[in-house]
Amino acid sequence: MSMSNASEKPTGLIFFPAFDWAISPTHPEREERLLYTRDQIFEEGIMDLPQVSEYTPVLATTHDIAMTHFCVPRVEDQVTEAHLIAAGAAILLADEIVSGQIKNGFALVRPPGHHSMRVVHGNRGFCNINNEAIMVNYLRRRKGIKRVAIIDSDVHHGDGTQDIFWHDPDVLFISFHQDGRTIFPGTGFTNELGGPGAYARTINIPLPPGATDESLLYIVDNLILPVLSDFKPDFIVNSAGQDNHFTDPLGSMRFTAQGYARLTEKLRPDLAVLEGGYAIETALPYVNMGIILALAGLDYSAVLEPDYQKFRESADLAGQVRRMVDQLLQRWAKRDQVSISQSDMTGNYFQHTKRIYYDTDNIQENQLEKLRLCDNCPGYLSIETKANHGYGQTGGKALCLSIPIDACASCRTEAADLYEKAKKARTYSYVYLQDKSADLFLGYDTANGKEWRSEGS
Amino acid sequence: MFVGVDVGGTYTDAVLLDHEAVRATAKIPTRADLLESVLEALDIVLKDVDNKDLKRIVISTTVITNLIAGRKYDKVALLLIPGPGLSHRYYDFKTKTIILTGAIDYRGREIVPLDEKEIVAALSELAAEGYKKVGVAGKFSPRNSAHEKQVAAIIQEKYPDWQVELGFRAGPQLNFPRRAATTYLTCATREPYRNFVNSVRQALEKRKISAEVFILKADGGTMPLDKSVEQPVETIFSGPAASTLGVQALTPPDETEVVVDIGGTTTDIALILNGQPLLSAKGARVNEQLTQVHTLAVRSVPVGGDSLLELAGDEIVFRPERLGPAYCMGGPAPTPTDALRVLGLTALGEEAKAEVAMEKLGAPLGLSAAETAGRVIDLIADSITAEVEKMFLEWEQEPAYRIWELLQKRKVRPSIVAGVGGGADGLIPQIAAKLGCDPVIPPYAPVANAVGAAVARPTLQVSLRADTEQGYYQIREEGFQGKIDKRSFNEQKALALAREKLLERAADYGLAVTPDEIEVTYREVFNMIRGWDTSGRLYDFTVQTPRGITCRIEKGGK
Repeated sequence: MSMSNASEKPTGLIFFPAFDWAISPTHPEREERLLYTRDQIFEEGIMDLPQVSEYTPVLATTHDIAMTHFCVPRVEDQVTEAHLIAAGAAILLADEIVSGQIKNGFALVRPPGHHSMRVVHGNRGFCNINNEAIMVNYLRRRKGIKRVAIIDSDVHHGDGTQDIFWHDPDVLFISFHQDGRTIFPGTGFTNELGGPGAYARTINIPLPPGATDESLLYIVDNLILPVLSDFKPDFIVNSAGQDNHFTDPLGSMRFTAQGYARLTEKLRPDLAVLEGGYAIETALPYVNMGIILALAGLDYSAVLEPDYQKFRESADLAGQVRRMVDQLLQRWAKRDQVSISQSDMTGNYFQHTKRIYYDTDNIQENQLEKLRLCDNCPGYLSIETKANHGYGQTGGKALCLSIPIDACASCRTEAADLYEKAKKARTYSYVYLQDKSADLFLGYDTANGKEWRSEGS
Repeated sequence: MFVGVDVGGTYTDAVLLDHEAVRATAKIPTRADLLESVLEALDIVLKDVDNKDLKRIVISTTVITNLIAGRKYDKVALLLIPGPGLSHRYYDFKTKTIILTGAIDYRGREIVPLDEKEIVAALSELAAEGYKKVGVAGKFSPRNSAHEKQVAAIIQEKYPDWQVELGFRAGPQLNFPRRAATTYLTCATREPYRNFVNSVRQALEKRKISAEVFILKADGGTMPLDKSVEQPVETIFSGPAASTLGVQALTPPDETEVVVDIGGTTTDIALILNGQPLLSAKGARVNEQLTQVHTLAVRSVPVGGDSLLELAGDEIVFRPERLGPAYCMGGPAPTPTDALRVLGLTALGEEAKAEVAMEKLGAPLGLSAAETAGRVIDLIADSITAEVEKMFLEWEQEPAYRIWELLQKRKVRPSIVAGVGGGADGLIPQIAAKLGCDPVIPPYAPVANAVGAAVARPTLQVSLRADTEQGYYQIREEGFQGKIDKRSFNEQKALALAREKLLERAADYGLAVTPDEIEVTYREVFNMIRGWDTSGRLYDFTVQTPRGITCRIEKGGK
């Protein structure tokens, strides 16, 4: 094949279909999921193109995981090798992008991760750990990347990623998805805008069922790109779920492979990471081809599903989307003028309770989250968590303390003191301290009085 | 007795093996006529042999390489059926190419039918331009060859004298651009290659040699001479395969070795991992085009005993060109051979001349002849060692698509550096030292390639794919499809079917294979779930006759 622009850097691709891993034999997240995608991209000879450079993944370390998640009781209990490979793939490509080896990348990997929140008691929405969040935190701790934007294009609200970066003013999270009143996880409404120190750094765009490429490209052009241009991220991530496709069995949207490719071309993400998408024959082979070609700057106009058609949207639906975009733009414009409701305040702390349901594992988790409001840094976060694993089986309470990367000395000291006190108090079965500013993780098991630690190397 | 012949670019080598012993060897300059070279070498090693005792001749030739490099073939057009996907504008096969309507998907289902009128028009266009050879290649044709066959049928009907090659046979792996390139090369070379095969057969008949004749392939397996016409391109680049098999036969079993073949201006490197030659994960690159031709993983470094040495600033560098033999052998310029001579690592040429060459080269740097020679050897050994390291790294980083494959990846280090070819034996200890290995120059190293040809064995494979939801199976190599019963078909049946087909194929090739020798080299089973129920299974199996060599050379007879 002849190629122009041979001097340009290639797109890095990690294809890891995990052909020997499934949640259960008939689950959508099963061995077969990327089989036809494999057939398509191999048959197209994608890996031979000079614009594409294939990498083999490495495993993420448990420390990489612990710097994003509080896995209860430990990382090893919540992740399998498949999860470490998927997260490791995202990290490897991010490293190659930052060091200038590749111009952008696509981690075409499974299992997915965007429903995994900060605290992990089990699997929710097919996810155990959040590949993108782990990668983003790695880049910020180790590679000096400060501002990151994550655009989630899965049909399901990226509630895990939202939870992890809710209080982080330097990570912009934008999710467009099918309206939460009609689909799992039932969240992602326009009023979910981020914590007090990171207002409007979370933006949700719930789309009416039936939305097409037309609305998709409208929100990209009129909302996402203008917001990105204001935010000026150092690194852009696309959580590339593919279940907005018109053939997806779980979603009710009508995006096409062309729409996804165009989205990728406009968004110009540094790194795309596969999330959901379960039309394994009718969508994935084509959508993945579209995304790869768009990232590599190649002509994708011939990537058409066998039953491709130009869907028409009702004027009603289009109008609804336009009004929502206007409303969100207004919120974005006022992003630095937020005032915190006093009912959420306890002294110097912003606090609220959360109930989180793990659909896959049938776990009900209750959280009390407290953020220290600090003038010098985003403030440390403490989460008291308790999980009910169904059938009346209840785990003990755990305390999770998270110190942000740019924490001030006072927040660091206070969180560290709290950790030591909690160890002695014996109120919690587990106590964790995640210090991103020092790249250090401490965990304590109250029952046997043992502490473990990990540090970035 | 077995004979191995390797026709190389410079020399043609032959050996006669009697059981595990070498009985005779020959090394002659390769003539312009390849057949002549083969016969001359054969005549030397067979001088004292009764032809009746000769059981097998294996030939490794550059016939395909020469045909392709010299474009000694008629023009070939390509008819492609790519369907949706990568834009057609990226396909450039350096020949007349017409894109046809039609598409097959990954499961072999037709998604867009062919347009017969369009095909007829394309053929008229080719006919008007004087094409009589056509390669037809479709995307996913190994999953369903119906479109390719339909196009072929139309050609046969309208232009019965044209030669048509189909992609599913020439390139049965999943990779459409490589399939198209391989189909093109197959179409281009088949006729001249058949002529070569016929003249070999006639020449042997004239000598009353009735031994079985095989041709060595780039992957180290062999094909019966007659059958090699079916896959002529597979015989390209058999030289490095011959050398590697030779080392395998001449060194202890199960070792991890680096095979270094230092020639005049190029050095070929191959790897033997735990006794097995490493195959390239993808097909060979032929004339800048990527193909589906299986080959050993071989890297070529543009340096050899006759490479030109010169100064670039205050660095000694080597150039890929050859101005002539080494200075110590009457050549015009300093070469690595001169460096080896100065250090007493070779007995070739005149020592005094070598000294002069090295002195001249090093004088501007204020180096003595010996110091210069030391630097040269270091430089050459370093560049070869760097390539070896890259090969190991590439092998370690080969993509894995399953968790167990990824987790079992480990570092393998070589223990032996084996030098063959005799181009620059003196370098082997230096390279081995840098890699922390033992240097080995096996017995018969100068003709190791011919030994490799002699011990190569035929390999055949059969790939079966069954799709129980659609209720059929197919044999990829034959484009054959058969029905299966969705309910009762299972893994055992799939494997049994593949084995049976392989035995049939072996019988057709005249190979004696017993069922228990058959190896399963690829196994993929997927449950297909639609809704929450199993709707079928996909089986993909490849079975093959054993790889390896027929024997090790234990003792010399000469």
